[in-house]
Amino acid sequence: MSEVQRKKYTEQEKNRIFDEEFMPHIDSMYNFGYRLTFDEDDAKDLVQDTYLKAYRFINSFEQGTNAKAWLFRILKNSFINDYRKKSKQPAKVDYQEVETYYNSEDVDYKMTSDLRVDSLKDMLGDEISNALNSLAVDFRTVIILCDLEGFTYEEMAKILDIPIGTVRSRLHRARNLLKDKLRSYAQNMGYKTDEEE
Amino acid sequence: MENNLEGSGERKLQCSDVSKCFQLLESILDGANIPDSQEILKSKLAKCQPCFEHFHLEQAIKEVLKNKCTKHEVPSELVANIRQKIEEIK
Repeated sequence: MSEVQRKKYTEQEKNRIFDEEFMPHIDSMYNFGYRLTFDEDDAKDLVQDTYLKAYRFINSFEQGTNAKAWLFRILKNSFINDYRKKSKQPAKVDYQEVETYYNSEDVDYKMTSDLRVDSLKDMLGDEISNALNSLAVDFRTVIILCDLEGFTYEEMAKILDIPIGTVRSRLHRARNLLKDKLRSYAQNMGYKTDEEE
Repeated sequence: MENNLEGSGERKLQCSDVSKCFQLLESILDGANIPDSQEILKSKLAKCQPCFEHFHLEQAIKEVLKNKCTKHEVPSELVANIRQKIEEIK
C-alpha cells in the first residue's frame, strides 16, 4: 500500500472494483485467515480488516490487475503487524529467524523420502490438513499460497516481500517438513499394532 | 525411446545433479514459465529414476493438498459486516 496513488476513482468505480474484483476472493481470503490463525473469530477479523484497508487504499490498486495477490498481501501484513502483536500465542518461528538460520538460497536437494505415492492417496483430508497445520506459520504460508491457492513464485514474492529464490527454497523446505509429517502418518497407518506396545 | 515413460529399466539410477534437477522439476510442477518445460520434463522422467520418483511424489502431494485439505465456509454474516463497515467509512 505504499504505492503512489495513480488516480482517484469515482464513488461508482470504487463500488464496482470492490464488488467485482475484491469480493469474489472472500472465500480464499477467509480460508487463508483461518489457516493462519486456526480461529473463526480471528479469521473473520483479519478478513474484515483486510477489506476495509483495501477500500481505504483502493486508489493505489490499478483496476484489472491482480486483485487476489493484492488482497493476500494486505491480509498477510495485517496478520504480521496486527494479529501477531496482540496475540497471546507467541509465534513459533519468525520470518526473520528463519532467514537468519538458513542461507536463503542454500537448500539441500536430495532423495529424502521413503514416502510412497500410494500411501498418500489413502490419507484422509483431516490427516493432510493436520500435517499442514502442524508446520510453523512461515512454512505453512508458502504451501497455502502455492499449492492451495495456485499463486506463482513471482506473485508469492510480492505477497511475502521476499526474493523469488527465497520463495523457492522456503517452499522446498516446507515440503520436506510436510513429507516428514506425512511419512509418520503413513507409518502409523501401516504399523498400528506395533505402536500399541 | 524417450517416449517409454514406464520403462524404468532404461532409466539411470543415480541423478548426476539432484539439486539442479529437483529444483527444475518443482518449478515446472508449480507452473513456472520455463521455455520447453514439457519437453524437458518428458526427457528427464524418461531417463532418470530419481527424477521420476521425485516428480511423481511432489505431484501427488500437491494434488492431495489441493483436493483434500479441509475448506472452511465463510461465515454468513461476514460479507454483511464488511459492507456495513464500508458504509460507515464512506
